[in-house]
Amino acid sequence: MAGVRLEHIFKKYPGSDIASVKDINLDIKDKEFLVLVGPSGCGKSTTLRMIAGLEEISEGKLFIGDRLVNDVAPKDRDIAMVFQSYALYPHMNVYQNMAFGLKLRKFKKADIDKRVREAAKILDIEHLLDRKPKALSGGQRQRVALGRAIVREPQVFLMDEPLSNLDAKLRGQMRAEISKLTKRLETTTIYVTHDQIEAMTMGDRIVVMKDGLIQQNATPEELYNHPVNIFVAGFIGAPAMNFITGMLSEASGSVRFKAPGVDVILAEGKAKALREKGFVGKEVILGIRPEDLHEEPVFLEASPNSIVTATIEVAENLGHEMYLYLNGIGNDTVIARVDGRSGMRDGTNVKLALDMNKIHVFDKETELNLFEN
Amino acid sequence: MASGEWLDEMRRILGADIQELPYTSAQWQELHPLLERGRHAARIHADGTVYMKMSGESDRMECLEIRRPERLSDTELNLISLLLSNLKPDRSGHSAATGAEKQALALGAWVMEQLDRPQAEMIPEGLTLGGRLYADMIPFLLIREYSGLTEEPYTELEKLLRSFFEEEVLLIPLQRNEWLILSPMSPLSDSRLDGGDDEESEEESLRSIGLGLHEMLASEWLGECHLALSFPIQPSKSIVESVAQLRETIQLGRRFQVGSNVHLPWQLHLERLLSAIPESDRARFVEQAFSRSDYYVEPEILTTLETFFVLDCNVSETAKKLYIHRNTLLYRLDKLKQETGLDVRLFRDAVMVKIILLLYKVTKRP
Repeated sequence: MAGVRLEHIFKKYPGSDIASVKDINLDIKDKEFLVLVGPSGCGKSTTLRMIAGLEEISEGKLFIGDRLVNDVAPKDRDIAMVFQSYALYPHMNVYQNMAFGLKLRKFKKADIDKRVREAAKILDIEHLLDRKPKALSGGQRQRVALGRAIVREPQVFLMDEPLSNLDAKLRGQMRAEISKLTKRLETTTIYVTHDQIEAMTMGDRIVVMKDGLIQQNATPEELYNHPVNIFVAGFIGAPAMNFITGMLSEASGSVRFKAPGVDVILAEGKAKALREKGFVGKEVILGIRPEDLHEEPVFLEASPNSIVTATIEVAENLGHEMYLYLNGIGNDTVIARVDGRSGMRDGTNVKLALDMNKIHVFDKETELNLFEN
Repeated sequence: MASGEWLDEMRRILGADIQELPYTSAQWQELHPLLERGRHAARIHADGTVYMKMSGESDRMECLEIRRPERLSDTELNLISLLLSNLKPDRSGHSAATGAEKQALALGAWVMEQLDRPQAEMIPEGLTLGGRLYADMIPFLLIREYSGLTEEPYTELEKLLRSFFEEEVLLIPLQRNEWLILSPMSPLSDSRLDGGDDEESEEESLRSIGLGLHEMLASEWLGECHLALSFPIQPSKSIVESVAQLRETIQLGRRFQVGSNVHLPWQLHLERLLSAIPESDRARFVEQAFSRSDYYVEPEILTTLETFFVLDCNVSETAKKLYIHRNTLLYRLDKLKQETGLDVRLFRDAVMVKIILLLYKVTKRP
């Protein structure tokens, strides 16, 4: 097994003045599960494809273990890839599909057989070894594609949106299986997805990308609780963080945040940080996650300085929880996630308290989180 | 220039101690664990000597040993590396080609010549590769975009294809990084046998073969490459037409199917038609469409529309695929209608939006 190191990696396509991937520096540790996440066109797949050797690196150095591999062909990088298409070899049965890469590398028949059967056992596809791909379901095909990678016993697994062709139920199931599998095999894994739920549930570490740049590189918890900018804050979490544009002002020793329908007092620790940075008297963006808006009477009673009143545009009851789409807090719709048994109805007014210890404040110009930068 | 001559000349110019020596692959690997594959020739620094690979197969290779390399600058070493990689075709390229490779090269050259003519001639008897072009075969056109490889790839590629198809394959080099592959028919029948209850169409089977072959080539050998394939042909009759069609398919696929590497002519009819429209007309059409709204190309709506069209405008399937609630999808489609006046649930409007999106990809709209 090995780590992977990217040093000042750039990707520029011929004929384009703008780099698609800009100055990527990453140190992926041995056995780590790293997720590259971001919207389409953010450069995550290009980065993975450069690591795989499918695309040329325009600038920078790439190491797998201690070996500089910039100009090493994909087959010689000791990596195994699983793509979104998980295209199997249709004229070969499952066994032959999994054995093909080993056969090419001139492994002995007995070794091939041992590896294929072991991988098939891990993936629970032993009973499918004689079948042709056409006779498999989507989930079974995905397992075979994984099996083809596992038998290679590579230093690094590279996975490019491997679950996006599966339906929602199977996707959830395979997500857990891949996580279990990589832990068991202890192989360094780099996983690309645009789905923040996959990123949050699978990654030891997550790298959020946008416009070819790394926005934040952190653990899932760090990313969720301490996003460095508005993009990360809005990208991670579903429903997304609410953003309310308003003014910070100081009165009677407290820092207040005011926006249409909002007049709340900031917790002292946060107020102090904003004062020190000189943001009192300036327009900022307040960020609050849907679960940090509370309707429980106990919370309302304990938070008299952060109460807002809003109209419920739509109440979506998911059973265990309810999403309230609210008007009257700032200029845009705000979403609150409350208890499914709260009995809220469309069109009614509701009082909610903001958990002021959980709020984020962003610079309106730079969009940076003022508590994290 | 013969091998000894250029080596003497290099020694004279650089005043360096340079030797040409044979190595086995094992010896080469033992030299140093950190192998730098330079942009041109593989190079190893070990024990005060620089070793550069010049040519050869995995079991036996020719290398250049440069002793006391500190007397040379990095630029000089890089230039030697570049020189070696450029010498290779003359030293070990076509002159060392096998009989089969020579025949394939000659056929490739003939095909290229015919492509420039208004009407292709009948294939000369001497170029039918021992009569093998009279059998029905599946044609593939392969274009390599990028690879760190510096070796002449013909033998390696042919071996790989033979392993994949488990039968003899005809590999015909057309240009640098462009090959015509003629595979036997067996994968087509094999992939359709034992394949469950549903009858798979020939198009579906060919698509699966193309996707499988591309994945194998990308990961086992080539890196980034584009592949087009078509229905089986008898190469003796239609090899030139087939190459022309597959080239056009790759060209259209690159423009219209960004992100896809396997291109199929039967999936590009509309694109072929649209590319025949003069560029100024295309640009005007897109400008008119976007003058009302450019909501079509908002990332979220773009993904939604592309999935919606791939799934034959089926709302439930699209919602499932996008992992969103059906009502969310309907909301997005209603919003599109509100913004653009086009309701993609109606055939007429769906066609219009599809065309707008296709043309948007190829008109360089800012």
